[in-house]
Amino acid sequence: MELTLNHFLLVSGLLFAIGLAGVLVRRNLLIIFMCLELMLAAANLTLVAFSRFHLVEGQPAYDAHVLLFFIITVAAAEVAVGLAIIVALFRTKETTDVTKVNTMKY
Amino acid sequence: MPVYYLEFIVVALGLVMLMVDAFAKLEDKRSLARLGILGLGIVFLLLFTVEKPAATEGVLWKFYAAPDSLSLFFKGLAVLCTLLVLVMAVEYTPVVVEQTANPEPGAHSQAGLGEFFALPVFACAGLMWMASANHLVSIFVSLETVSITFYILVAYLRRNVGSLEAGVKYLILGALSTGFLVYGFAWLFGVTGSMELPAISEALAREGINATAALFAFALILIALGFKLGAAPFHLWIPDVYQGAPTPITAFLSVGSKAAGAVVALRLISPFLASSPLVGKVTAILVVLAILTLLVGNLAALPQRNIKRLLAYSSVGHSGFLLMAMASAPRESLANAMTPATVVAFYLGAYLLMTLLAFLVLSSLRAVTPGEDLDAYRGLSKRSPFLAFALVVSMASLAGIPLTAGFFGKLFAFKMAIDAGQWGLLVAGLIAAGAGFYYYLKIAVSMYFSAPAKGEETAIRVNPLTAAAMVVLMILIVAAGFAPGLIVRLLS
Repeated sequence: MELTLNHFLLVSGLLFAIGLAGVLVRRNLLIIFMCLELMLAAANLTLVAFSRFHLVEGQPAYDAHVLLFFIITVAAAEVAVGLAIIVALFRTKETTDVTKVNTMKY
Repeated sequence: MPVYYLEFIVVALGLVMLMVDAFAKLEDKRSLARLGILGLGIVFLLLFTVEKPAATEGVLWKFYAAPDSLSLFFKGLAVLCTLLVLVMAVEYTPVVVEQTANPEPGAHSQAGLGEFFALPVFACAGLMWMASANHLVSIFVSLETVSITFYILVAYLRRNVGSLEAGVKYLILGALSTGFLVYGFAWLFGVTGSMELPAISEALAREGINATAALFAFALILIALGFKLGAAPFHLWIPDVYQGAPTPITAFLSVGSKAAGAVVALRLISPFLASSPLVGKVTAILVVLAILTLLVGNLAALPQRNIKRLLAYSSVGHSGFLLMAMASAPRESLANAMTPATVVAFYLGAYLLMTLLAFLVLSSLRAVTPGEDLDAYRGLSKRSPFLAFALVVSMASLAGIPLTAGFFGKLFAFKMAIDAGQWGLLVAGLIAAGAGFYYYLKIAVSMYFSAPAKGEETAIRVNPLTAAAMVVLMILIVAAGFAPGLIVRLLS
């Protein structure tokens, strides 16, 4: 069987859906954060797949690869800031359960 | 000077502020904010000396659009907004110091204050760059520069549970919207085979494009931008984050983040609107989003008791008017008709003036009254006639009373909807504006016609820098209300 673009898109779509479902369903902030990273990984896989199957003069379109590296870098920065905020929250509330982070209500 | 120097100058200013904070052993760190205000004032003046480049060949111009009046206007908005946020931050210093103090003996009494002044400057550089971003990579990176800075600033009060909670909510939903954005970008690249906006525009206009995949990309990108703009149903984070964040940062979020969302939306949506196979469906989606946002924002604001939550819902409502202008692109080009971009830019300019005026009053009051409940504003006219008057001007403009900047913002948005024949939008807009009159003027009435609460009758003093900023904003609001042409001319 030959691998086609559709196979890659299917896998990345599944990854994205799993990540999104995790963000919506899970209650632990750290797990939610991992699921967010999964969504970014899905986007990266899509980019690479499209670039591999979209040949420009016989070469993959490398623009997408550049975006991919930027996504990885930005995700790292986001994790650094995000974990710091989660740690600060844990110090004051001693929990990472999102259902307990609800002092502000309508 | 070449336009991209401005971003370099702003980044350098931020670095200088950090270095001064680290090495100069300042007694009072508020002078850092004054340095920032001075620097941004100079950058604002430099904006008028930008030269249009003769040739736009070369690698840089793949990522960075040649300066046009719209991008320069947005850069000006970003600089002005950051400058006023720093003015507010000076006023707000006691609260930040109290909530971030380092308890160890020998620590600086204002430890951790310097970054509070330096970070908005970096966010400003991101906002300015975004106004010229012309390539998916540069849109993504500039948007994230701003978002990540905002995550830190929202959660800045690290001894305050509300601020941390707001920070976590903003972080999770912001990161979620980033996920949607990059996945949308990936599909947009897959459909068009390019990352440059002009080429994407060309590819989308071609017959035989894969319309389903293009619409999928559009939906993903719109969800992400809906988060940034605060469009319903993606506005759920807004009230909590606005309430929990430090007041100057709330102001920055409500103006800066919205301007960022709007300018990216203008650039990313226009290729879809220019594409004949897609324009019908794209317009329908935008109209539904605009109607929902108008109604949800303004109707949910009616019963609010906390002023920051009220302003949060009001900001959702104003996003509705922005979307209204974006959704009603003219069907055929009329002579002298305004483009959606002009209307959005004008609306954002007016929104900046009136929202920042309201938040300046709020942060001046925060130093004397801890509460943000609407009851704290009862009888304000007797305690400080100046603050009460400033808040009335801002509320009148937010409600859209004639002879204020806000009136023309709404008028132009309504005119766009009429020209495009979007009657559903028009009705939703009228309901929204009517609800707005009620909840904005409710505050004005309680300031002037109620007695202050017992034990809170003392007069309130206003810092001269803040008072000067308020006077300038009031004059600009009224001037734009008398002669909107002044701003419109800047845009053409």
